[in-house]
Amino acid sequence: MDFTFSEDQLLFQETVRSFLVNEITPERLRAGWDTDTGRDAALWQQLAEMGLTGLTVPEEHDGLGMSALDFVLLAQECGYVALPEPLVNSVLVAVPALVDLGGELAAEWLPKVAAGEARVVAGLEQNLVVEDAHVADLLLLERSGQWFALTPDQFSAERNESIDPGRRLFSVTVTGNAEPVLSGEAGDRLRLASLNRGALGCAAQALGLAQRMIDLSVQYTSERQQFGKPIGSFQAVKHHMANVAVRLEYARAPVARAAYAMDEDAAGASLAVAQAKLAACEAANLAAKNSIQVHGAMGYTWEVDLHIFMKKAWALANTWGDAGYHKQQVASVIFAEGAALGAGSTFR
Amino acid sequence: MKVLVAVKRVVDYNVKVRAKGDGSDVDLNNVKMAINPFCEIAVEEAVRLKEAGVASEVIAVSIGEKPCQEQIRTALALGADRGIHVETEGKVEPLVVAKLLKGVVDKEEPQLVILGKQSIDGDNNQTGQMLGALANMAQGTFASEVKVDGDKVNVTREVDGGLQTVSLKLPAIVTTDLRLNEPRYASLPNIMKAKKKQLDVFSPADLGVEVTSHIEQVKVEPPAERQAGIKVADVAELVDKLKNEAKVI
Repeated sequence: MDFTFSEDQLLFQETVRSFLVNEITPERLRAGWDTDTGRDAALWQQLAEMGLTGLTVPEEHDGLGMSALDFVLLAQECGYVALPEPLVNSVLVAVPALVDLGGELAAEWLPKVAAGEARVVAGLEQNLVVEDAHVADLLLLERSGQWFALTPDQFSAERNESIDPGRRLFSVTVTGNAEPVLSGEAGDRLRLASLNRGALGCAAQALGLAQRMIDLSVQYTSERQQFGKPIGSFQAVKHHMANVAVRLEYARAPVARAAYAMDEDAAGASLAVAQAKLAACEAANLAAKNSIQVHGAMGYTWEVDLHIFMKKAWALANTWGDAGYHKQQVASVIFAEGAALGAGSTFR
Repeated sequence: MKVLVAVKRVVDYNVKVRAKGDGSDVDLNNVKMAINPFCEIAVEEAVRLKEAGVASEVIAVSIGEKPCQEQIRTALALGADRGIHVETEGKVEPLVVAKLLKGVVDKEEPQLVILGKQSIDGDNNQTGQMLGALANMAQGTFASEVKVDGDKVNVTREVDGGLQTVSLKLPAIVTTDLRLNEPRYASLPNIMKAKKKQLDVFSPADLGVEVTSHIEQVKVEPPAERQAGIKVADVAELVDKLKNEAKVI
């Protein structure tokens, strides 16, 4: 069985990486923090023209009809540049939720999402706040397993601060009379699937963030000299980065596995996603910790770009289920009565 | 109007190239390859001509070993209509490339051939000019602006003294400079469509060209490492060093 990514998937990754690295520079990110919305409509349109906003939109609604597995490498690239636009949540959470809700709602909004003409945002109760509610043309809001499809005139959004200046978080209140578009068992199923998809997006971005922090640290320690040598040549510094690189490599497979599970193995998805998010966010947290160390005092400064990626990694670790939640997911499988444990079961 | 665009597979411009240990060549092991940036500009210009309704078909051609089909596919994803691969073995020098392109020109009879002014690996800046001579076609090199006007193409060239505009009778050859345009990114739908576009493979013999080498690469070595600078205490010391050590004043 071939578990490697296909030639197409790797080519898409390379194309998207090239675009994002050239376009989403740290300077552009910093400029975005000072704008009213923190979001860039022109950039969103560019992402749409590349086909990214419609990646998981079915072909009958003018999208590419691709899957979570197709997107997971691209989400890593979004993490690598700390993309502030809500692309990952849109592609992995909001669009599949809209597809699941189906009917006229999907027929009306999905083609607009694919064309970059509308942004659909999904907000789950578990997250307490809704990311990017302020730019949502349609908000899919979940409360106690009930789903509401709200246009901007049907809700108010109050801004909450985030540790990551690139994130925009809002407490959302439904202001009008809105009837749920889905509830009961179907609503709960969609809630769980959406939570898993959101967590998968975090895990994939965490891989990209960890890689970026390694790259920044390697560059810095190759240039910064002490005792007449680059500090990266000293063993104590090398060990810091090697430990991160090892942790990152071990996190890649669980993330790919989780993306596969989202598409092909719904029963095992929660476990696979929990393992992926734990592994990837731990790698990103270690990358942040060790990168600060090898940057010395510079790592704490506003001027050095490291903090952009560190803060995003910290923020992602605590959204779409924090470490406690995902450990509980793993525990519920391991400690279940008659649970089959071992390489083929715990880590399927 | 049919437009032929040449694309070359080279080491990606972001890669820091290294010489092989024995100095025989550049080390290409595990090195990322890409379209030569000047060729990418050529593709973009051809696609823009097609979008403007000036060109009816854009054909991307590449010469080299089989992997260069990747670069043809990239050109197809950027908007070229079909591809031609002339499969050769090992290195081919600019004169051979020009002869092979002449063979493709004879076959396809394009009105306009657009090439990069040079490739970033060999930096020869010869192929376009050689093709112009072999095909007996007018040439506008180092183009920063291309305007097709009826049976003529006006090419603004970047020359040492500024800009020079020449009017060429079609069919003609244009080689692109850096400021001609800014190439687009291939979209994911176009990457998928590119896989279904026609790609014909020819051998040099199909084009009636014999591949012979006239050049032997003797040695490849990296540039000397730049020495660290020094700080001087005052202007007098600076002048003294410029005069007596650097001997530049």
